[in-house]
Amino acid sequence: MRAQFVLSEIWIGLRRNLTMTIAVILTTAVSLALFGTGLLIRSQVNAMKDYWFDKVEVTVFLCTSSSSSARCKDNGPATDDQKGQIQRDLQAMPQVRRVYYESQEAAYQRFKSQFRNSTALVQVTRPGDIPDSFRVKLSRPQEYRVVASAVAGRPGVDSVLDEQASLERFFTMLNGLRNAAIGVALLQIVAAILLIGNTIRLAAYNRRRETGIMRLVGASNFYIQLPFLLEGAVAGLIGGGIASTLLVAVKLLFVDRLRSSFLTVAWIGWESVIQVIALQLIAGVLISALASFVTLRRYLRV
Amino acid sequence: MIRFDNVTKSYPTQTRPALKTVSVSVEKGEFVFLVGPSGSGKSTFLRLVLKEERPSAGQIHVAGKDLGRLTTWKVPHLRRRIGVVFQDFRLLPNKNVYENVAFALEVIGKPRRFIRRVVPEVLELVGLEGKERRMPDELSGGEQQRVVMARAFVNRPMILLADEPTGNIDPATSIGIMKVLDRINRTGTTVVMATHDAAIVDSMRKRVVELEDGKIVRDQSRGVYGQAY
Repeated sequence: MRAQFVLSEIWIGLRRNLTMTIAVILTTAVSLALFGTGLLIRSQVNAMKDYWFDKVEVTVFLCTSSSSSARCKDNGPATDDQKGQIQRDLQAMPQVRRVYYESQEAAYQRFKSQFRNSTALVQVTRPGDIPDSFRVKLSRPQEYRVVASAVAGRPGVDSVLDEQASLERFFTMLNGLRNAAIGVALLQIVAAILLIGNTIRLAAYNRRRETGIMRLVGASNFYIQLPFLLEGAVAGLIGGGIASTLLVAVKLLFVDRLRSSFLTVAWIGWESVIQVIALQLIAGVLISALASFVTLRRYLRV
Repeated sequence: MIRFDNVTKSYPTQTRPALKTVSVSVEKGEFVFLVGPSGSGKSTFLRLVLKEERPSAGQIHVAGKDLGRLTTWKVPHLRRRIGVVFQDFRLLPNKNVYENVAFALEVIGKPRRFIRRVVPEVLELVGLEGKERRMPDELSGGEQQRVVMARAFVNRPMILLADEPTGNIDPATSIGIMKVLDRINRTGTTVVMATHDAAIVDSMRKRVVELEDGKIVRDQSRGVYGQAY
């Protein structure tokens, strides 16, 4: 195998079809960038999930004498028996790691420190206004629904707040975004594959003299097809490179800026960006090499 | 070197077969003219030897290989033992004489050192020394055909197939082409030449195989083209 010969053939091929090559590169770049963005969103969602699911709790608010809900009015404030029963039941559940009881006094103190900047709000709130609650840490955060439904509606329980549910809505939105990005990317990839196929067909036609002679002097199929395959792969690789640059830009301009404004949130780091870039490059090369290969089987009879 | 046993070749679009139960044998080092009118099956014969086509029936042996049993991926190795010369030259217009000949070796992966040694040798054999840097469009028809012969012979094939090599060349130049083919033949290479050119066949006095409507109607050693044409 003469590397220099093959390389010069690739270069000639790419240059001869310059406009088509550019079209291939741009289409691949856009599709791979969208694909990569989808993957980045996915790892962002996972990072957030890991981060928040660990911190998020199910809060079971108990009825107090000042509770305003109809349920609490009917049943009256939670008795010590009821509280004890709820706590025991929660602790018995396999999904639950730990149960904290937060008294009305402790809740009031926390409220005061959380809202210390809005003095007006603190002033109108009295210690009894904030209900006592059980804060439940979960060992299996995915199963928060089981825990919530186990205690919701019991006598003495006012409401069950699972922060998970509101997070889920947020994640659903992000997942929708991810699916949209990957969906558009797939459409683009189909376009890229067809474009690559056409480019290779054109290249095979342009070089039919060369390939005809190669065939007659006994060049192996591999040797005849290799320049075309590599031509596609190089175009795919350049497209992947551009897509990677775009992804780095997304990380620098978007993620890193958001990170500085939302410090409390987990953001993806460079390692996931690098992973996605590697995937992008591999996908770029594979897609184009595959498209070239399939086209060559049809148009370059050996 | 080449053996056809009852070979028939029909094309799906034609009712009459291009070759009908042809049996012929060409020995190593022979020089054979394949003559006959257009459409008599000469080109089909050459294409079958190269395994560019498969016979509809019968067996073909080339260079000791049964082509019917030869797998597709071994066909390139068969073709490396066969050189081909065409009427329409088929040179690469963007490569000069040297590069055109070297191309045939590059694409079968020969090392550069080897190419640098053998290409000048073969260019000298066909009488093109000193014209290595010329482009094909700067050459006369006869010179272009010499490049084609150099390209066909540079890998020292056992068989050289020539499909009307003098078809596009004036008679005076043709004599030079035939001298080169004769020289190649003298190195031990089997030469099969399909031609319409009666004068050349008559002057060479070599074996003549005549095809008509896909059948061999004459096989004569030291023959002439024949009176009918």
